[in-house]
Amino acid sequence: MNRYLPLSILALAILAFATLLLVIAPGIQISRHAAPPGLKPYTEQELRGRDVYVSLGCVYCHSQQPRSPDQAPDGVRGWGRPAIAADYTYDAPHQLGTMRTGPDLLNVGARLPSRDWHLAHLYQPRAIFDWSIMPSYPFLFQRKDSAGPEDVAVSMPAAFAPESGVIVAKQDALDLVAYLLSLDRTYPAPANALRDDGYSQPVEP
Amino acid sequence: MSKDPKRMTNTRHRPDENFEPYEPHRRIPWPLIAFAGALGLWGAATLLDSRQDVAAEQAERLVADNLKTGQNSEPGSTLFAARCATCHQPDGMGVRAAIPPLSGSPFVAQGPELIAKILLRGIDGPIRVNNHVFDGHMPSFASTLTDSEIGELASHVARHFGESSQTLSATEVASLRGPAGEDSSFKGGAEIAATSGFSLGDQPAFVSVSAGSLAPEISSLVFSGRGEQWACASCHGDLGQGKETTPRLAGLPADYIVKQLDDFAQGRRLNESMRMVVNTLSDSEKRKLAEYYADLRVPSNARPELGGNLARGEELALRGDWSRNVPSCFSCHGPSGFGVAPEFPALAAQHAAYTTNQLSAWAGGHRKNSSLALMERISSELGDADRRAVADYLASLPPVPAGTSEKTASIGDQP
Repeated sequence: MNRYLPLSILALAILAFATLLLVIAPGIQISRHAAPPGLKPYTEQELRGRDVYVSLGCVYCHSQQPRSPDQAPDGVRGWGRPAIAADYTYDAPHQLGTMRTGPDLLNVGARLPSRDWHLAHLYQPRAIFDWSIMPSYPFLFQRKDSAGPEDVAVSMPAAFAPESGVIVAKQDALDLVAYLLSLDRTYPAPANALRDDGYSQPVEP
Repeated sequence: MSKDPKRMTNTRHRPDENFEPYEPHRRIPWPLIAFAGALGLWGAATLLDSRQDVAAEQAERLVADNLKTGQNSEPGSTLFAARCATCHQPDGMGVRAAIPPLSGSPFVAQGPELIAKILLRGIDGPIRVNNHVFDGHMPSFASTLTDSEIGELASHVARHFGESSQTLSATEVASLRGPAGEDSSFKGGAEIAATSGFSLGDQPAFVSVSAGSLAPEISSLVFSGRGEQWACASCHGDLGQGKETTPRLAGLPADYIVKQLDDFAQGRRLNESMRMVVNTLSDSEKRKLAEYYADLRVPSNARPELGGNLARGEELALRGDWSRNVPSCFSCHGPSGFGVAPEFPALAAQHAAYTTNQLSAWAGGHRKNSSLALMERISSELGDADRRAVADYLASLPPVPAGTSEKTASIGDQP
């Protein structure tokens, strides 16, 4: 080990090369694409809901990246068209996820647009799907004797409802549902969109 | 070399190793050259001559083919076969008492501009064509055809059935789109006659039927839900337009909707969310909800979005695939996929993700409520690519023009 200088230069050069190809070049490529006209920035409430989504670890079971038909039948499942880079313009950090224990959620707001459905499902997934393995999130709700004028009551079948009183959504639950309903990337992808088409041929205009 | 004198003497008697055989040059006799030249000229002349023959033969074959298949290569004829002939028939004679004829129609005789206007707006009201009154329900093609396609189609119809020689360009169609496109369907022949200024004979008056007032308890079911059941509109949209895997309900036959609600409850059709919703509905509520959605009309918000092959989808919808014993969709679901009450739902303008989802559900045994197990068998014959192709094609069609009451609404309205 007596050639520190050339070794260090070589190591730094390899690192610089990797940074160029893996960080700088994709950064330049992505920065050329503006946000699609159909994509709205998150509202304050949706951003709070996004924080709840992150803190509950939803990303461990739910991806947010529908694949092209050649990679997975995501379109047939109703999970939406293949995602493009610009879909994540307002997501920092993105919640792409790697696990699909549950369904992909990038278009859940379009697929399941009902707030009441989401509240019932978050309180007790088994109330709707008796086979669901999703955890329930009762701590996002509270039991009250009667719902106040501002309260959003959750409708539950008798088997899952409390013996008396009503289930009312806490602010965190409402924020989370607002975030879920904002997940709607069903606007058409621009022709020059940056995306992974898998093995499929680009569609002729 | 000189060390082996014996060998040297031997080689002296052999022929030279480097000798190459040769033939002295002799000229080709001139008659042969002349003969070859003449052959060449004759060949070239024959070649040129046969080109004309081939062209003539190809033209003849094309005409024969077109006669056989009832098509020709005129612009617009393919569009006519795919978009119009399913109702108005390939010969433009229509269907007695149901679909007005194009051939000999005074509307068609006015030229391509009026035809394009009707294509853009559709017709929704009574119309008199050649002394017959029809209950006109023609969809608007404004969202499904491009300007140049509408121009070609209108010119083709005018030329073929109206003996007009005018053609309509894409830019002219674009200028019609402005004023005509924003409006809803023509309220029958009377409005067409009034707005176009052409004399189109006596046209029956449009009788406005006010939208049947929705019973308050049904309205609250649709828009706010009840007890453990959330609102219909919270998933299916304010006007039953649906999205992605949530189906479009507007314009589906009422009997079909009631049957589906019963099937959700009985488990013949598996959908956990719907099963929970229908649990608390009484039979009369199901009927009233179904009638409400059957009468709604709303523009299409479906798009082909699964990357399916639209040409293949059109093939399956119009002609089926008999190599796999798959009949055409329209043979049961009606011309242009408008549905045939009570059994067959409308397919036109249904969301592609929903359609392909249901085809998968039939094939996979999650939906077992099709009469005679027709759809179960058809779906299992279709591969994934075919399901996407046909779903995308159906999503590209204009929506069903349902009912007779005036309930045209745009997405976002609430009664």
